[in-house]
Amino acid sequence: MGAAAVAVGAPDYLREVKPVLTDHCIGCHGNEKSQNGLRLDTAVAALKGGERGPAVVPGDAGGSLLVQVIEGRHAQLERMPYKRSPLSTASIAAVRGWIDAGAPLPAAETPGHRVHWAFVPPERRTPPGPVEEGFSGGYPIDAWIGHRLKEAGLAPSPEADRATLIRRVSLDLTGLPPDPERIEAFVADPRPDAYERLVEELLGSPHHGERWARWWLDVARYADSNGYSADAPRSIWPWRDWVVRSLNADLPFDQFIVEQLAGDLLPGASLDQRIATGFHRNTQLNEEGGIDPEQFRIEGVIDRVGTTGTALLGLTIACAQCHDHKFDPIRQREYYQLFDFFNQQDEPTLEIPSSGPVQGPGGPAKAPAKPTTTLVLAERSAPRRTPVFIKGDFTRPGEEVGPGTPAVLPPRPFEGQGSRRPNRLDLARWIMDPRHPLAARVTVNRVWQQYFGRGLVETENDFGTQGSPPTHPELLDGLAVELVSPTAEGGFGYSLKRLHRRIVTSQTYRRASTVRPDLLERDPGNRLLARQNRIRLDAELIRDVALVASGAWDPALGGPPVHPPQPEGVMNLGQVRREWRTSLAGDRYRRGLYTYFWRATPHPALAVFDAPDAFSTCTRRNRSNTPLQALTLLNDAAFVDLADRLARRLQDGVPWGDPVAYGFQLCTGRRPKPGERERLQRLLDGERRTGSDTEAWRTVSRVLLNLDETITRE
Amino acid sequence: MNLPADPALAALTRRHFFSRCGVGLGSIALASLMDRNALRAAEQGGATPPLAPRTTHFRPRAKNVIYLFMAGGPSQLELFDHKPRLNALNGQAIPDSYLQGKRFAFMDSSFKNRSTLLGSRRAFRQQGPSGMWVSELFPHTAGIAGEVTFIRTCATNVFNHAPAKLFMNTGSSQFGRPSLGAWLTYGIGSEADNLPGFVVLQSGPRGPRGGAVNWGSGFLPTTFQGVPLRAQGEPILNLTAPEGIDADRQRRTLDAVRDLNLQRLVDTGDPEIATRIAAYEMAYRMQTSAPEAMDLTGESRATLDLYGVDPAKPSFARNCLLARRLVERGVRFVQLYHTNWDSHGGPGETLESDFEKVCRDVDQAQAALVRDLKSRGLLEDTLVVWGGEFGRTPMGENREKTGRNHHIDAFTIWMAGGGVKAGAVVGETDELGFGPIQDRVHVHDLHATILHLLGLDHQRLTFRFQGRDFRLTDVHGELVPSILA
Repeated sequence: MGAAAVAVGAPDYLREVKPVLTDHCIGCHGNEKSQNGLRLDTAVAALKGGERGPAVVPGDAGGSLLVQVIEGRHAQLERMPYKRSPLSTASIAAVRGWIDAGAPLPAAETPGHRVHWAFVPPERRTPPGPVEEGFSGGYPIDAWIGHRLKEAGLAPSPEADRATLIRRVSLDLTGLPPDPERIEAFVADPRPDAYERLVEELLGSPHHGERWARWWLDVARYADSNGYSADAPRSIWPWRDWVVRSLNADLPFDQFIVEQLAGDLLPGASLDQRIATGFHRNTQLNEEGGIDPEQFRIEGVIDRVGTTGTALLGLTIACAQCHDHKFDPIRQREYYQLFDFFNQQDEPTLEIPSSGPVQGPGGPAKAPAKPTTTLVLAERSAPRRTPVFIKGDFTRPGEEVGPGTPAVLPPRPFEGQGSRRPNRLDLARWIMDPRHPLAARVTVNRVWQQYFGRGLVETENDFGTQGSPPTHPELLDGLAVELVSPTAEGGFGYSLKRLHRRIVTSQTYRRASTVRPDLLERDPGNRLLARQNRIRLDAELIRDVALVASGAWDPALGGPPVHPPQPEGVMNLGQVRREWRTSLAGDRYRRGLYTYFWRATPHPALAVFDAPDAFSTCTRRNRSNTPLQALTLLNDAAFVDLADRLARRLQDGVPWGDPVAYGFQLCTGRRPKPGERERLQRLLDGERRTGSDTEAWRTVSRVLLNLDETITRE
Repeated sequence: MNLPADPALAALTRRHFFSRCGVGLGSIALASLMDRNALRAAEQGGATPPLAPRTTHFRPRAKNVIYLFMAGGPSQLELFDHKPRLNALNGQAIPDSYLQGKRFAFMDSSFKNRSTLLGSRRAFRQQGPSGMWVSELFPHTAGIAGEVTFIRTCATNVFNHAPAKLFMNTGSSQFGRPSLGAWLTYGIGSEADNLPGFVVLQSGPRGPRGGAVNWGSGFLPTTFQGVPLRAQGEPILNLTAPEGIDADRQRRTLDAVRDLNLQRLVDTGDPEIATRIAAYEMAYRMQTSAPEAMDLTGESRATLDLYGVDPAKPSFARNCLLARRLVERGVRFVQLYHTNWDSHGGPGETLESDFEKVCRDVDQAQAALVRDLKSRGLLEDTLVVWGGEFGRTPMGENREKTGRNHHIDAFTIWMAGGGVKAGAVVGETDELGFGPIQDRVHVHDLHATILHLLGLDHQRLTFRFQGRDFRLTDVHGELVPSILA
């Protein structure tokens, strides 16, 4: 940025003026676009001007068109930059100073060229200044968060108490609340590395994969039915189990992606690698009578292009289906070059041999009776032709294109392939190339979002020019570089578990979430993260917390989706009435991850707590707060059943303390304060006067499962 | 966890977030509170629940909408678009000039005589001040022609049921966009403090194709999605307290939840907890208010007869009466779906007995709704919209009986009440009823006009999602002034 003119001499054009013009003007007045014939990417061009004459009159800043419009005092023209924030006083002063000094031209000038931050590969940087207690710490998280807090003059909140910490990190890493026994042990653990040991224990848990699989299933628009109007059932849960297994095994993230986009094309593709391609079979399938099947095959391809763009590139590539992207440098032609990669597949069903890998690690698989199948991709031998669809309409084919990637992104290093046509595997490797500026940033941002409720880039699905810039660009880049760097160089080597570990062991993550009045004033959105955020749990986890607290939980991993109780009549809402035969025994009490997901008629307890609808990729969930949620927790048969189980558990006697306090701890992870304990005891005593002991405990249990704190990660 | 520990600072915290976040806690009884200061602070905050009424862009002509969705696509040629020339050309081939560049449903399956014109067998008479043609199948509807604006040239983009329904509701055939009702409640809030702002009622042999996405909130917060009230049993899922929990015990349960949540609110300062407390209170009120709204025992015999309602049976008529009751109680948007208007000519889908039956299902009740709203002074504030996801072709499909294929170029919808001309016709189709020759009204235009009647500018009602500002009308839509009173 141009600094204010110093007292001595005129501002230097190259050092102080050109950066202002490059950052703020050449988007519309450069070599790509030159509105009204005006370019500002060189000083010579500025002097020459456009249709309205010279933009700069040497020696007369006040009479120069450029100064008049950036100051907003031109009679006919809008203040520039158009519809954006005005330039800073210092920047305007630099432009004025240079013009008043006669607008001296630099000796040799190359045209200014602005590259959007997200298209520049990330770099590792360390914060300036000395290390100070409370403001800095581990690279890159605490160092950069601390640096910004210090700049803003805000003190970080202290670390959360241990009971809060263990529940927070357990929910975040496994999606399960800790037992009171484990909480007490952690609170009393005198070892200096007690927290780090806890983190290792949780990262090693087979339930870690379940928790983070759901994170990925949202992106993949996973469901157990075909969608559209008929919404027939489908079997693709082996792909879901593959995700759980892969995350538990910490399959490096680049491989995780390559296998999902193109596992079938890997040399000697294993069964697992073919199952992995189910990622892009999670599209909807239309079986309505009278449709044009080609239309809906194309809808599927469109979804694959859009999902790949959003999930891995963080770009709204889908915007270029009908026209060149309005804001980002993606042309419609380039959209169809990407489209071509996904236009070359058949969509077979894969039968999995009974000796196949379809079982969870560390737990017995639920054996299905029929042969297990899953949906996969397979490359056609004869490629389809891909035309540009005029205005995105598949009935209007235009120019034919081949496979390719947008020019603004790094070129494909397709070495030694000769005349071979690039395919999905090439595309996948290009996306996951460590030099690629987007995939790592987009990924670490969405992981960050899980832990803090919001990404470092708030528009987690748009890293383009219309998205919001990162609040901590150096931190985002630092984590992205760590993710892709080899472990030998101290990086994570694409290990997500290393990334999780780095985040949850940071001071920033461990801070108390309590709202502070000074922060409400200074940083109401908590962008600078002086404290943690309270986050209402995801739909599936709300069920999981109640399952664990009540003692009903069946910890089995994997297998076909299950049918916990749901209110009558839900299945009538779809066009075709589907069956919901409520599961018995253990399957009735499986984690929310395993609940059968019908796209047309999702389980109401999931839908009401904002589980995504699986129609298109979901990179961030809504977190609504509605009366229907209250009715669900209060009255839904599944939650009433769990309240009854919790009541019995408390009535049957608890390992220590009194049952009221123990029940409170089962649900919230902490011991109640005296006032809270007393309020619950008062309820229990009152209920005992009007009904049986069992009924009284049932009421107390319903209260505990309905507390805001029970369904919140503090 | 009590941070800050200093009591003065704690008090400041409370004052601070209550004044900033404006949380309303409604009717909380003082008696059972653990922390009275928190309550006082909360009550001083004022009320801004997510569904609170909001300021419109300009003066609204209507406050509520009742949308009668005729699922399956009713034939305009049997009901409203009277075409003597089509009748005269019955059995003849349609001129090729009409078909060039068109796509139809069931393109692959080659049924006989696809291009043969089918005249209507129905008798038509002109009605009301506009002289609008209405067929013999809608005798009651003919009687309200003086209240209605008929739009004969409605056009849509998609010709399969589920995507077309989605298009009519959301302006897009892609899933994940908010429906009209969601946009409206997002734009202007609701006046009901004990019922959802957007309610859906269904009748007919099965649910509408596509199901819940038709009233979904898409990328808008779920608060704005349509809540289906069910015709029988509990009107809202999980509305009734579990077995063995009487009203007193449910209230005591809620009191304890509220007190403990309030304590947590004080301890953490998180305004989301205040919203949750308010949501629980609303849920409690809904347990009483929703069954009350659905209970027709207070309606007079005369009213029941006007609609043709048998209170014991679910029906479109019953839903029309419920729609009036919901609007009376401040619900912003009531959408009724009635199936099945699909009329291909096969079993259950003939233009003969099946079509007559579905006309009988709706005719009396939809006319009664308009009359009843008017007699109660509600029609001027309530916009009634009637229509399907598309219309039917002038060409016939002759299976066992006669039928018509899906048609997207021109079909009839009608509107009455809030801000709409009483007794008017908009648009004219060609002599075969194939396409518009005057005043084409696209779905986007219809949406723009409905939003306008509710006081909203369709270009300014936006929501930022995936990097851009989305609208109900996408980048299209023009107000249709000839509809406005």
